[in-house]
Amino acid sequence: MKRKPNSTTLSDSELVLLAKKKRSDFGLLYEKYFDQLFRFVYKKLGGIEETAGDITQLVFMKAMANIDKYEDRGFPFSSWLYRIAQNEVALFFRNAKKNYSVPIDENRISELALEADLGSKMSVEQQEELIEMLNGLEESHLEIIELRFFQALSFKEIAEIYNITEANAKMKVYRILEKIGKKWKGEK
Amino acid sequence: MKKFILNKDNKELNPTDEQIKRQKDFSRLHHDYEKLTKRSKRPLYKDPKLFMLLFILGLVLFLIFYEG
Repeated sequence: MKRKPNSTTLSDSELVLLAKKKRSDFGLLYEKYFDQLFRFVYKKLGGIEETAGDITQLVFMKAMANIDKYEDRGFPFSSWLYRIAQNEVALFFRNAKKNYSVPIDENRISELALEADLGSKMSVEQQEELIEMLNGLEESHLEIIELRFFQALSFKEIAEIYNITEANAKMKVYRILEKIGKKWKGEK
Repeated sequence: MKKFILNKDNKELNPTDEQIKRQKDFSRLHHDYEKLTKRSKRPLYKDPKLFMLLFILGLVLFLIFYEG
């Protein structure tokens, strides 16, 4: 008897192959990655459930429609999904008519401050000043900071999203932190 | 436009399992995909019955004008 394919026993490459042959088998990739993708989009939007659900569905729709173009370059399939999600969320904010506030936890800001060498203890006012400074960063820099500190992704995961090496991802993060540090000290 | 703010109200920033379950629906995605990619109707010239009908109609019109 032929066994039904299972998303837990098959590798990403095998699941992609199945989805390329038969679109309804894309459901296995959906099953495997929906939760983490939804969490990612939800956090990026600051907790708007319905919109996060719609954008996540859109991400999977785009992935499903373009699965034939997907090339396995040794990165996990999720990095491709994250890349689509990054673009979709950015597009959503760009086209939004109103302003959205995305809350950031205090411990995330403290972690960033520590890494940027801004001190280990920060008052609420200082944290707010730092967030204001982050809001002024250029979009590409802010995206990387967001992935590392607010989404708590590893350097490896960031590297996979940007299709770069882990060392390169680390270097990018620390260069931006250095900039933040200089700007912070310059203003003080 | 998006702006980061400090989470002063201690708002939960991670979705609950219930929220994830509510939004997860592959059958909806598959249905939307099918709707989006469904092939357009068969062109008239590829439908033998319709082609015949159009051909006869054309022939009748041609004969009427030719005779007239």
